[in-house]
Amino acid sequence: MSKSADIDDTLVAMAGIGVAQHRGTLRTLLGSCIGVALFERKLKLVGLTHIVMPDSMGREQPVGKYADTAIPEAIRQMKRLSGVLHLSLSAKIAGGANMFAHVSPGSTNAIGDQNVAAVEKILESLQIPTLGKHLGGTAGRRMVIDVESGYVQIHILGKSMVQL
Amino acid sequence: MNTLSEKQLHELSSIVRVGMSEASRSLTIWLQRDVHVATEEVKQVSLEIVTELLGPGDMTICACWMHISGGINGKLLFGFDDASGLKLCDALLSRSMKSVEWGELEKSAAMETTNIIGCAFLNAIAQVFPKVPDGQLRQKDATWIPTPPIFVRDFAASIMQFAMIDQVSESDRVLVVEIQFTIDITPVNWRLLLIPDAESLKQLVGIPYE
Repeated sequence: MSKSADIDDTLVAMAGIGVAQHRGTLRTLLGSCIGVALFERKLKLVGLTHIVMPDSMGREQPVGKYADTAIPEAIRQMKRLSGVLHLSLSAKIAGGANMFAHVSPGSTNAIGDQNVAAVEKILESLQIPTLGKHLGGTAGRRMVIDVESGYVQIHILGKSMVQL
Repeated sequence: MNTLSEKQLHELSSIVRVGMSEASRSLTIWLQRDVHVATEEVKQVSLEIVTELLGPGDMTICACWMHISGGINGKLLFGFDDASGLKLCDALLSRSMKSVEWGELEKSAAMETTNIIGCAFLNAIAQVFPKVPDGQLRQKDATWIPTPPIFVRDFAASIMQFAMIDQVSESDRVLVVEIQFTIDITPVNWRLLLIPDAESLKQLVGIPYE
């Protein structure tokens, strides 16, 4: 569910999950969806999920689409990549825009809000602190994570880059 | 999952062709240029693919968007990259110099073009759209009502996420009607996308086309 432009840069697609360690970047494009970046700083280990919906309602696939399945799966993949079973994780989240808020109230905005609420609830239940967030608004975002430093860059067209 | 059969996709393509014939004719009159449909396709595609229908995910694109109701409920998007969109505006405004940025006049020209092509398309398919078994809403000759278009400029993937989020809530594949154009024989990077909402998709799946 992710693809690399080169070995160091992985694009995480909609409903996708990407993990990387030591170096490189993970990036994703967000509109109403939520990007959840999970970090294990000592191991320089990062997982990124592109969440579309808040609740799988028991569906098993696609695992990266739903908040309640994507976050545990990202953690599982991070453990597999690092070979470490007990990770000390933190998170940074972005997305949840309603690009047509002024003309389209209702479901799209509701889904964005529900996604945020679901992600925050799951992170809390897993005792993963959220160290940065960039949510809402009416514009799309490019979320780029530098694996080595743990910095998250948020790009919005026509605005200055924000670093989380 | 709400998946249409090959026969249903084929029949929908026939309906779309009627709409596109009218849309290209109205564009020809509006632009006073020879506009034709290069390709039209009715397809159900995965989430990974659908976000790149208007271009690579982090490419900056423009889209004029209309919500439609009355026949199929959903969204109609007229999408283009900066160069193609501004070329359209220059043709409309009879400019000899190439425009390089989107001002209010250029946005207005793009939105009015969307209004014209969208209404021509919807009026045409409303005349030939089949009645669904439950007889509700999708009656032949029903009035299809678009909202006034609005203009957005953003990452291609971000725009597409919004456009399809309603369908995605209930399905892992997205039904899209995609149309590309030529102007004076030359292909241009304009795409018209029709994306039904989840409820309309269910009704489309229920049409037997007997």
